[in-house]
This record gives sequence, C-alpha cells and structure tokens, in this order.
Amino acid sequence: MSKNFLKAVGLTVSLALVISLMSLPAGAAKTGIRVLVFAQGFAWPELFGSTGVDETERLKQFEEKEGVDVRIEWGDETAIRQKVAADFAARTGRYDLVLVGTDGGVQTYGYGGFLEPLDKYLELYPGGYFDPQDVYPQFLDANRVEGVLYALPYYSFGAGIMYRKDIFDKYGLTSPKTTDELYQVLEALKSGLRGEGITDVYPVTMRGAPGEEPTLDVAGFVYAWAGYPAWFEGGAMTPDQIKEKKAMPIFTGDFAPGFGAFVEICQKYGPPGISTHTWVDMMNIYAMGKAAILMPSAINAYAALGVTEDEQVKKYTRFSKSPTGSGGKQIQSFWTFSLGINKDSRHKKEAWKVLTFLMGKESMQAFAERTQWPNVTMKSVLYSDVLIKRYGLEEIKLNEESILEAEPFYFPYIPELNEYMDRVGTATSEAIAKTKSVEAVLSGLQTWALETMLRAGYYKK
Amino acid sequence: MYGQKYSNLKKLVLYAIVFTYLVFVLFPLIWLVQSSFKSMYQALKIPPALIWRPTFEAYQKALGGGMLKAFLNSAIVSLSNVVLVLVLGVSAGYALANLKTKASQNIGFWILTVRMAPAFGIIVPLYIILRSFRLVDTIFAVMVAHLTINLPLAIWLLKSYFEEIPSELAEAAIVDGATRTQILLYVLVPVAAPMIVAVSALVFLLSWNEFLFAFVLTSEAARTVPVLVASLAGTMRFDWPLMCALSTLALIPAFVLVVYLQRYIVRGLTFGAVK
Amino acid sequence: MGVRVYWPPEENKLSWQYKFLLPALLVLLSIVAFPTFFLFYVSFHEWVLFKRGMPFIGFENFSRVLTSSEFLQSLKVSVMYTFSTTTLTFILGLGLALILNEQLKGRGIMRTLIALPLVIPPVVAGFAWKFALNREVGVIGAFILPAMGFMKSLLADPSLALSSIILADIWSKTSLMFLILLAGLQAVSPDLYEAARIDGASSWQLFSHITFPLIKPAIIIALIIRFIDAFNVFDAIFVMTSGGPGTATQTFPLLGWKIGFLYFHLGQAATLAIIMLIMTIGVSIFLIRRIT
Repeated sequence: MSKNFLKAVGLTVSLALVISLMSLPAGAAKTGIRVLVFAQGFAWPELFGSTGVDETERLKQFEEKEGVDVRIEWGDETAIRQKVAADFAARTGRYDLVLVGTDGGVQTYGYGGFLEPLDKYLELYPGGYFDPQDVYPQFLDANRVEGVLYALPYYSFGAGIMYRKDIFDKYGLTSPKTTDELYQVLEALKSGLRGEGITDVYPVTMRGAPGEEPTLDVAGFVYAWAGYPAWFEGGAMTPDQIKEKKAMPIFTGDFAPGFGAFVEICQKYGPPGISTHTWVDMMNIYAMGKAAILMPSAINAYAALGVTEDEQVKKYTRFSKSPTGSGGKQIQSFWTFSLGINKDSRHKKEAWKVLTFLMGKESMQAFAERTQWPNVTMKSVLYSDVLIKRYGLEEIKLNEESILEAEPFYFPYIPELNEYMDRVGTATSEAIAKTKSVEAVLSGLQTWALETMLRAGYYKK
Repeated sequence: MYGQKYSNLKKLVLYAIVFTYLVFVLFPLIWLVQSSFKSMYQALKIPPALIWRPTFEAYQKALGGGMLKAFLNSAIVSLSNVVLVLVLGVSAGYALANLKTKASQNIGFWILTVRMAPAFGIIVPLYIILRSFRLVDTIFAVMVAHLTINLPLAIWLLKSYFEEIPSELAEAAIVDGATRTQILLYVLVPVAAPMIVAVSALVFLLSWNEFLFAFVLTSEAARTVPVLVASLAGTMRFDWPLMCALSTLALIPAFVLVVYLQRYIVRGLTFGAVK
Repeated sequence: MGVRVYWPPEENKLSWQYKFLLPALLVLLSIVAFPTFFLFYVSFHEWVLFKRGMPFIGFENFSRVLTSSEFLQSLKVSVMYTFSTTTLTFILGLGLALILNEQLKGRGIMRTLIALPLVIPPVVAGFAWKFALNREVGVIGAFILPAMGFMKSLLADPSLALSSIILADIWSKTSLMFLILLAGLQAVSPDLYEAARIDGASSWQLFSHITFPLIKPAIIIALIIRFIDAFNVFDAIFVMTSGGPGTATQTFPLLGWKIGFLYFHLGQAATLAIIMLIMTIGVSIFLIRRIT
C-alpha cells in the first residue's frame, strides 16, 4: 500500500460523486405527464412496446401533437399500490395519473380527496380519443363514488365460468345455470376424475390467498347467496346510508352463506394449495390443464389461454355466464383497471388528454388485438373482428350479457373498503386452510367491523 | 481440524457434507437458469422436460428493455456504495474498536439501530425528504438510501475484526512514530483485508439486489436492475421465464465479482510480525 | 530500538477516535434525522390517509396496535421465524465456514458456489421457491415430493408454511453467514493451533479454546445482523405466501405494510415500526451483553 492507493481511493470517491450528481434530471421542454401503473407488456403494447419501455411511433405522434411527454412507470401490483400510497401521503403531486382499481383505490382516494373529479372534464373537453357513449355504463359506474366519477376504466371484467368442454362432455355435463347445479357439476367432476384415477386435475381452480386477492370473488358469492350486498344491514352501500340507518355489519348474518359456500367449494373441489393461491396460481393451474373449471374471475382463464401450449385447453375452453345463487342473483367478480388524475397534479388538462388517449378506443382495440382477451370496456371493440374471429359471435354475446347483467356495486363503497377487502380475504384463506372454522372467522370479522365502525363514528347519535 | 492432516475417512465425511449442501444450493439455481430458456408453459410442466428446444425469447425481451442502462445504474450505485462505505466504514470501525467509553459504545450502538428501522416505516419520510431536495429519480438518492443499510453493517463487521487484531501491532507502529492514519492504512488495513473484501462483496451485493428503496425512489433515469426486473416481469402477464432470464443476466457480473473476490477473503495473512 | 513516548499532535485536541468516527456519523445523522423525527411525530398522531387532518392522540396508536389480535399472532410468527432462521443459518454457515477454512481440494470453487445464492435478488428467490414448492405445478412440490409419497401442500398447510419459508431462507441467507464467518476465521493465526496441537489438544478443544474466543466478535455481529434482517424480511415471505394461509406466516413487516399501505393508517404503521425498533434494540443489547 502506498500514496498511490490513497490517491486511487480519493479519485474513485470523487468520480462516484460526480457521476451520481450528473444524473440529476435536466428540465424537459414538453409538459411531462407521469403515469404510475402495473400490467406492463400487455397494457398499451402499441404505445410502449411489448416490454413497456420502448416508445412507439403512435405515442410519439400523440406527444408531438399535444405537446406532452408521457413518462410511464411500471411495477408489479403490490409495489405500484405502495408507491401510489407513498406519493399521496407525501402529497407531492409527482404523479399526474395513478392506478386506482375499483377494489378500494377509487373509493379510498376518492373519499380522501386525492383524485380529481372527472365529470366536468368529460363535458368541457370531449376530445376525440375517448367516447363515453361507447363504454359499457357498468364500467364507468364502478368508478363513481357517491355519483362522482374519479377514474376511467381500461381493461375490465365481469364474472363467468370458464370450463373445459372436453372434460364436461366426457362426464355428460353442461355448464351450470344455478349454484345448485354448480355443486352437482363439481361433485360429478370429482367422482368422475377420481374414478379414472386422475389425481392431478382438479374440478375447479379459484383463488384463496390471504389479503384482498380473493375478496372480489368472495363478495360475488355473498351477493349471489344473499341476493344483495350483504355487508351491512339492509345492504347499506355508502357512509351516508350506513350512518343514516345505523346499519350494523352482518358478517355473521346474511354474509355467512355465500362466504361459507366459497370456502366449501375451495376445500372440497379445489387444488390442495388453494389457501395461498393468487390469480397467478389460478391461471397457471388452468393453463397447465389441471382444472376443469376456473371461476368466477373468468379473465384469469383468458390470461391462461395466452400462456398455455396444451392443445386441449386451447381447443376446448368455453365461457358461460356465472350461475345464479339462492338469493336470485348471479355470482359476481367485477373489476376495472382504472387511472385517475392526481388532485395535486400541476398539469391536469394535459393529464386528462393523456388519460383519454390511454383509455380511448384505439388503445382498447390494440389491447384486444394483442391479448385476445374479450375483457374490454367498449362495445365497438368487443364486437371487433379480431375477437369475434377468435371466440365466435356466440361467446362474445355471452360476454356482453355478463357485463350488462353485472352489478358493479356488489360490495359497499366506503373509505375503509381496502381494509375490509384485506380482512375478508385473509379470513377466507384462514377458513379454507381450516386454521379456524367458518363461524369463528366470521365472528372475528363481525367483532372487528363493529369496533372499527363505532370508532370511526358511524353510529353516533 | 485446523490444517492438520486428515484421515481419508474424515475427509470423506467433510466432502459429503459440503456436497450435500451444494446440491441443495445448486438445484434451484440450475432450475432458474434452465427456466429462462423455456416458455412459461414448458417451465411449469410436470414432469419437467430435460431435453427441449431452447427459446431465447426471454433474453431478447430482456436485452431490448433498457437492460444496459439499468446495469450501468446498478453498477454505479453498488460500486460507489462500496467505495463510500469503505472510506467511511474502515475509519469509523477502527475508531469504535478503540473506544471503550460508555458514550462511545452508545454511539456505536446507535449506528447499528439505523439498520434496524423497518422499511415500511421510513419509506414515506425518506421519499418526502428526497423529493423536497428534488433528488427523486437520481442515482444519488438510491445511493443515500443504500448507505443506511450498508454503512452500519460495514462499521460493525470491521469493528469486530479490528478488535480481533492484537493491539501490539498498532502499538509497535506508534512507537515507531507513525500517525494513526498511517497505522490504519499501512498496518491494519492489510491485516484486515479478508474482512474488508468480505464487506465489499456484501455491500456490493446488498446494494445490487435491493428493491424497495430503489423502486420508490426512482422513475426511469436511475432505475436499477431489480427495479427493471419488477417493471418488466410484473404482474398480470406473469412472465416467469423473463424473470429468470433477467436474474441469470444479473447473475453474471455478480458471479464474476464473487469468484474474483473470494480468493482474497482467504489469504495466507499472518500476524507473524508481532509474535 | 529505544522506547520513546510519542503522541502525534493531532491527538491532543479531540481524541483521534472521534475524528475517525465523525464523517460516518455525520453522514448517517444527516440521512436519518428527518425520518426518525417523522416516525415519532406520526406515531403520536392519528394519520389516516382518507381522513382530513392529523390530530394528536397521545399513546392511542400504541394501545391500539398492542391490543389488536393481529399483533399477538404476528409476534408469535415473528419470534418463531426469526429465531429459527437466525439459528439455522448461523449453524450451517459456521459449519461450512469451518470446513472450507481447511486445506481441502477444490475449496475455492466450493466457496464460490456456496456464496452464489447471495447474488439472486430476494424477490426472485421467493418466486423460485414458491414455484418449485407449488403442490400443483412445482418441480419439488408436485413432482419430487409426491414421488416420495409426500402429498401435502407445503405452502398452504398452516403447520408447514412457515417451515417452507425458513427452508427458502436457509437457501438464500446461509451464504451471508458463511461469508462473514469465513472472513472472521482469517483473523485466527495458524501458529496458535500449531502450539496447541503440540500440547496434544483435541479438535474440540482447539475450537472451544482458540477459535471460538477469537471469532466471538464476528459471531456476535453476524448473529445480530442476521437477526435484524430476518426480523425485517418482507418480500420473500410476501411473494411465497402473502403471509398465509390466513395469518400463519404474517410477520411484523407484513402486518406493518398492511396497516400502512392497505389500511392507510400511517400513524399506526409508524407506531408498529417503533415497537419493532424497540424489540430489535432489546434483543441486540441482550446478545451483545450476554455473549461478550
């Protein structure tokens, strides 16, 4: 070691500092609109390439024309939701457009005043990119909180059953119209598969991981069995309704039958690992040809079709509308991938332009062509050639019916929704894994919900 | 043990233990690498195909997705972290090893507590403060965040090593009229080389692999490799082969580094001079 | 050589140790001062993202967090998880370091291979194990284990899920212990063994009388660092089980993440972070005091 060593260290340190300081951002000429989302690769492939990082000609033309620079940030779902929350908590307005799903994001951030109400933009700046008349009203409505529109939907889905026609035919089964029939079909599949000694194909794949993952589906079951969104007495949906009627939570009441059915089906007919399965596992199992039915979030089977190389799965997968429960309603699973404008954004008008461009017809069409999923928001795209050619007019019609018959408001729209979603999902996982009985987890939920609502002042005089 | 001659049987037992462990270590790695040459469907097929026609699709996607820039960012962040941590950490570790007062031990312990803070608690304030200095999406921000993870680790590892070195070494040099800086650089650093090299390797790898801070604090200009991995192979279209390919690519520079460094971790250093 | 007392002038003013310490201290202080203050400030306020205002509520957050049922469950899981993974990775790491400190043929390549898992990002390691252990499509869980007659789902069985995560942890974290301890072993001069062996000491005596006392500082710090990291693990567990089934693998960081970023109770999340910090400090002090 010598003086040279010291010099070398000194040099390296200063070099490191200089390089890192050089990377400080330089000012851009166009208005930069930052977008924070997930689902890269298949969301907007014609704008950002299949990797999500190359800008295409179409995007560049748009940027040139409107004088904006679209900067998109991708990440996985968990990470993105965390980043959105961190940015809102810091109130920096760094992100102009942020991802807000209809499973808690729209509600929480809408009530919290973090999102710009969009109704007046629709009127003031109709623009050529996005035609609200073309969008199925259910998808727009799902993004309204107490009547105010807070976000626009991109790919979106309703519930359905995706099943393997070859397996159904083998056992002489048809797609179930009611939940009673569903049980019969599942039972027949189970004994049929068992009779043939097949142990690695399961009658059904669903998701039962803890957290908000399964809650959309569980809520859909509850809705079908109770006949209404049975979370609070009388099906109260908003903070005002809950306060006005002093509606208490009813997790041990009407919520219970649908919840119990979901758990029972998972336990009896699902794969062994179902209590930690997320949509990824659900999709993988279906793609690998290891399940006869995927339900009720049919979109995950459409995703599986894009992955699978199993000829049977490709050839014999069919869609059918989700069955009707004892409450006279269909099982739901309804969600829209939405973007909203950050209230603290400094370029709301430009952000709106980008928003309508991203959610507009051309983008939706490109999505359909790329993914071949029929989970699109617009009638004109659902009935476009590419989808009809792929699935046939019959199945497209069925998909449309499932959207039109869907009830977007099948769970309450309250600011605490995210926490409810998480706790219901975790309770589901716990019950499926048999850590606790269904009764025990539901009474736990009930106690927690009562306490929370009392503390939040819902039942004050 | 310890350099003595072994009976063949003893040697056999030692080899058997290490080999068993190596099978456990290598199996997932090999599986990861081979998955990168398969399609998603093939990668999940049971029983797994041992012979298949490899696809390079994942690598094409990976290389087309701004991988070079991310590698460069990661390299700058990790290497500058190593340098900063060594400069600050060697002297601080040496100082702490030689401080025995209550106050100084408290300071030393406080340094360690920096590493204890749960990420979910400090991510929001860190974001706020870096944003207020307009430093979000700079390599500098990521570097600063990584210092909180790496510097306490380095200081404590080096402190523990300096404490092991017999004090006669330093005392002899003082007697010869050396300053503390000279003692540290010319006497102690060479003796502590194994730990310094180990610390460099750890700091480099922890920084190279760190995801959460790097993700929240960057947008596009300063994205590191793990952030790019998440941003390319994220959810919905869950691209497992792509994730494997990116990891395999990220493995290469790190592997080269470990191969290069490991020989320095164990080197025939002796304290013969002071004995 | 004549002995003369010589103190360099630099040591007269401020003791040299503090001068050496100061740069690192200032750097760390400047980074963490605000986050620390913020953490404490927020923990005494009710900060819920969807509510306006941020009223001071004293110790309310603390009593709410500490009395919730999730807290106890997470405490149990965290203690079991942290203790097992720290102990197991330590024992394995030390054993491997001792073996590979010997003059064995091919030890260079074996060391490198053992260090390799460090190179894999924790998220990817988590996914790799999740997919490998998966009961329906995983190479281990659906192929190797069933062939051996084991039919349970490792990740979905409440009694096995935590062990599966610990297995993945051993895979990815033993390397760290191995590396630190191997480096620590280099401080032990071979001459010491020579002398002891001439006196007829056994292998165990060599270890307990020479090696162990000399590498004790390295062992303590390796244990503390592993403990701190294990107590704070988020991504690997989240990826493998999301804390499930139910809450069977929901450690404190997963709970804290939920409270903060799913429930949006940022005040309570900060409170949990402080509680975790206090626990970590307590255990670390215990380790330092008890073993030294």
